[in-house]
Amino acid sequence: MSFRIPIGPYHPALEEPYKLELICDGETVQDAVMNVGFNFRGIEYLAERRNYLQGITLVERVCGICSNVHSLSFCQAVEQLNGAEPPERALHIRVILAELERLHSHFLWSGIAAKLMGFKTIFMACFTLREKVMDALSAISGNRVNYGMNRVGGVNRDIADPQAVLNILDEMERGITRTIIPIFLNDKTVESRCKGVGILTREHAKAMGAVGPLARASGIGQDMRRAAPYAAYDRFQFNVPVETAGDVQARLVVHALEMIESCNILRQALTTLPEGPFQTPPPTAARFKVPAGTAISRVEAPRGEVLYQITSNGTDIPERVRVRTPTFMNMATVRFAVLGQELADSPLIQASCDPCYSCTDR
Amino acid sequence: MTTETVGFEKTLQELGLGEGWKWDKGSWWLTPLNAADVRTTALQMIQLQARFVAITAIERPDKEIRLDYQWDLDGKLLSFVSATSAQKIPSIADLCPAADWVERETHEYFFVEFTGRETTKPLMTRAGDPLGINLHKEVAQ
Repeated sequence: MSFRIPIGPYHPALEEPYKLELICDGETVQDAVMNVGFNFRGIEYLAERRNYLQGITLVERVCGICSNVHSLSFCQAVEQLNGAEPPERALHIRVILAELERLHSHFLWSGIAAKLMGFKTIFMACFTLREKVMDALSAISGNRVNYGMNRVGGVNRDIADPQAVLNILDEMERGITRTIIPIFLNDKTVESRCKGVGILTREHAKAMGAVGPLARASGIGQDMRRAAPYAAYDRFQFNVPVETAGDVQARLVVHALEMIESCNILRQALTTLPEGPFQTPPPTAARFKVPAGTAISRVEAPRGEVLYQITSNGTDIPERVRVRTPTFMNMATVRFAVLGQELADSPLIQASCDPCYSCTDR
Repeated sequence: MTTETVGFEKTLQELGLGEGWKWDKGSWWLTPLNAADVRTTALQMIQLQARFVAITAIERPDKEIRLDYQWDLDGKLLSFVSATSAQKIPSIADLCPAADWVERETHEYFFVEFTGRETTKPLMTRAGDPLGINLHKEVAQ
């Protein structure tokens, strides 16, 4: 006999609202229907009724975790339109913020995944390390979330003491290499809970346009930092971890190895931080003009590629602001990952796709 | 234009994607604009193993809706522009499942009908909500 089990929009495992209807035969999932939109705020509509400077503040509110990538993408698109060129120091600072944000997001995700697999010690370890990232972000920007760092033509704040961030980085790296990586890669509990569970095949990932760590755990090796470098990413050496198993464990491994790569990038960016200004002169009404045209910016957010397309009609209000977030592409893949799986595994499988419904719904 | 993009238009021509490719502010655009047949293009892109990225609808001052179809080919973003004054355009969701959510969202925001779909269930809004919620002028259902 087949049962239809509605889960959400107030979800028992994840804090954001969405609804998943699972069609089960006994304890086995036969199909799934995803419903989103419970967090729809009309950000694109609002951005097309505000000026560019207000738009930066607005788009940073798309997401509470990867807020920086939204203002970064927005500013990069505007810079292409008006020709503003951020100084080299600003490009390095943008990379530093983006990688700290990636670490913060990956620690959060790893902690939640550990909690859902019943491994609360690792949940605590991840959140302890995450606090160190939040301390670094707070020291740089003054905020734990919504950092307000990006502006057209650079960043709003300098990193006055790179050594202090490097010291925090040393602590984080020790925690990742001594605790997170060995457990995610070798622990029997993790293996028994995650290996072979929630497989997303490369074919399904490709057909659904999946991006980011989810796609890289299914053998699709694209990363915007490498494929279409922005900010200062083309100055740094780093690897793009790719796994082929497509299961929950592969997603754990990709996230864990990406944390190490983020530390590598951060170390390079902090030790080679160029001298000089971190912003072009502040815009005035006369200087801040955005000529008519269309520009597209793509950034590798913690969950994958973010795309901003901005069309200007020459006024101070954009004609169109298009925001395509990674989870918007990734969440439809859950249907394939849960097919044939145990009902009890579905929260972990959903969480392993690293969903962000604030981003999806906008 | 970065060094990687110099000469890429010739590669696109050799792949059979037509002439008139131009790099402009973050994407390769097939010019003249408004020329792309969305289903033919989708089939070509799928054959080339390109990844579907997005559809961006833009409301023009004359109320025509411009639709930019974006695909990623080995890290290069390709944009094909199509437009609809009748607010109807063929769906590509049967060819490319990744386009399903994007078409549903575009239908809600800009009242564009994607023909050939069995259903266009609401994605961000709910059944019975007005369509065209991103249009500058109110459009009655």
